[in-house]
Amino acid sequence: MKKYLTLIGLLMVFSFGLAMFSGCAEKQAVVKDESVQEQKAVSAQAAPVKETDDEVARRAKEQTEREAALKAQAAKEAREKKNAAALNDLNIQNIYFDYDKSNIRSDAREILKANAEIFTKNSSATIVVEGYCDERGTTEYNMALGERRAQETKQYLENLGINASRIETISYGEERPLDSRSTEEAWAQNRRVQFLLK
Amino acid sequence: MEKQSFFKLLIFFILLCVSCMHNTAFAKVYIDIDAPGFQQFPIAICDFQNKKGGAAPSSDFNTALADSIRHYLDLSGIFNVLDKKSFLEGLEPGTPETIRFSDWSVIGADFLLRGDIITSQNDVIVESRLYDVTRGQLLFNKKYSGKTGDLPAMARAIAADILLALTGDEGDFNTKMAFVIKKNGQSDIYTMDYDTSNLKNLTNHQNIVAAPRWSPDGQYLAFTSYKGGRPEVYLRHLKTGKEKKISSFKGLNLCGSFSPDSKKILLTLSKDDNEEIYVLDIDTMTLKRLTRNYSIDVSPTWSPDGKKIAFVSNRSGSPQIFIMDTDGNNVKRITFEGNYNTSPSWSPRGGRIAYEGLINHKYQIFSVDEEGHNLMQLTFDAADNEYPSWSPSGRQIVFCSRQGSRSRLTIMNSNGLNARILKESKDYLVMPTWSPRFK
Repeated sequence: MKKYLTLIGLLMVFSFGLAMFSGCAEKQAVVKDESVQEQKAVSAQAAPVKETDDEVARRAKEQTEREAALKAQAAKEAREKKNAAALNDLNIQNIYFDYDKSNIRSDAREILKANAEIFTKNSSATIVVEGYCDERGTTEYNMALGERRAQETKQYLENLGINASRIETISYGEERPLDSRSTEEAWAQNRRVQFLLK
Repeated sequence: MEKQSFFKLLIFFILLCVSCMHNTAFAKVYIDIDAPGFQQFPIAICDFQNKKGGAAPSSDFNTALADSIRHYLDLSGIFNVLDKKSFLEGLEPGTPETIRFSDWSVIGADFLLRGDIITSQNDVIVESRLYDVTRGQLLFNKKYSGKTGDLPAMARAIAADILLALTGDEGDFNTKMAFVIKKNGQSDIYTMDYDTSNLKNLTNHQNIVAAPRWSPDGQYLAFTSYKGGRPEVYLRHLKTGKEKKISSFKGLNLCGSFSPDSKKILLTLSKDDNEEIYVLDIDTMTLKRLTRNYSIDVSPTWSPDGKKIAFVSNRSGSPQIFIMDTDGNNVKRITFEGNYNTSPSWSPRGGRIAYEGLINHKYQIFSVDEEGHNLMQLTFDAADNEYPSWSPSGRQIVFCSRQGSRSRLTIMNSNGLNARILKESKDYLVMPTWSPRFK
């Protein structure tokens, strides 16, 4: 009986150490939600006897995951800042749209011409065209509308001589407003296409 | 006098029949609850009687079970559950023969549920009897066995049998809702039971997540997530929690609804430079394009008979609801009022499509038949009411309701009456979808 107890004790220490080790190994990796969830599901099915070990291991793992996620987030923010700074230097401007419309307005044409010149000068960069909507209306429809705005903009840039293979589009629908107020002024700011060079 | 003894004989025979059938509830459609003049069923639910048993029954199981049944019936929207304080008849144990139906009809009950509980240790046997008070008839007498921990499941089973006996349909008691909570620019999917218990965070993507859709077999939930940096469609096996990316074409990948056999899923993709509707066979991963129109086509939803698809298109200048065959032919517009009609949801019983439309600067829920006729506005309040989704019985609709910073999930009867708040939050609750029935 005593033998078993020491064996269990050893196992506990061992599995704790293992968890710490695997946690450290994961520090460098970017957190993958899928694998985390699968592992959670597996550990939930494990024998209930080892619950406390699992709990300790899980906490240790979660801690390292949180740290890794924070790191990744900080790196991402730094990147975004750098990109934003670069964009500011290049003076690429947003274009704006009318409510529930995706056609390029006349005031946007001049901006797109100026932007296209910048894109031509930076010929190695990929251009990400991001479509956005104001908060009114349905999430799904707005995701489609944002995509339509990005597509129309892409088409316009192609007509100005930018190679289609350099342009990517993405829609954020109504999910990323520049101005979160619910006013006509805010909505006008939020119905936009933004550009990102990468 | 003769009449009364005949009556007693009749009850005896019914009892005899029922006890022979025992576990088969009467599937007789008692009252058409969809009739325009339908009034809620006034029902009295007695606390259950503790009958003989081995160990002492857990102290309050009998009242807790009755309370739980009352709660479920209340939630269904078609019962007027009478306050037990109004009951004239005491709690003295009584055989069916001793029920004084006049005591129940005088307090306004049309139906009466009584029952007994036999407990031994953790095993519980519940016997419940539903009576039609006005006719003095027993409608069913049924036994349920389980553990003391199964109380909610037992309450749901009894509530479902009551509904089945009175309406011919078991109702929506064994269902869940999936919905999205938006917070600080991020969103994730949550699920909860119909009675709002058992709230669970399903995705933890900390990104944009949208459009949860249950597979009709109850095994999967599909949704759109930006966790990979752009909108892609994922399929999650609910039991194992395993997630699989099923659509990641360039541009927009948006999740639509499943086919009734759960084998196919509708998608909105922009891979051909325009937002079009496609159908994906989940096993073979073969894709077929359904719409060909230079405009936005989005939010496809399958008809319950599998023959048609409703969707949103702005091909006529503003977003409107259209219907087409499942091969993409015979496109027909069905909404003509207003210039912003989206979020179609097809009634599981067929016939009607609920959607949200903009009227007087507010979004309200409407329903219309498949021909585009018989338009009904279902919500009228000062909030923005959006994202309707039908319950499996087709008798209720869940939607979200937003006014200022207050956000709610609300259910109402499919005719727009009797709205009940399910959940209220300072965070933004959106895109509720009602699950199929779980066994």
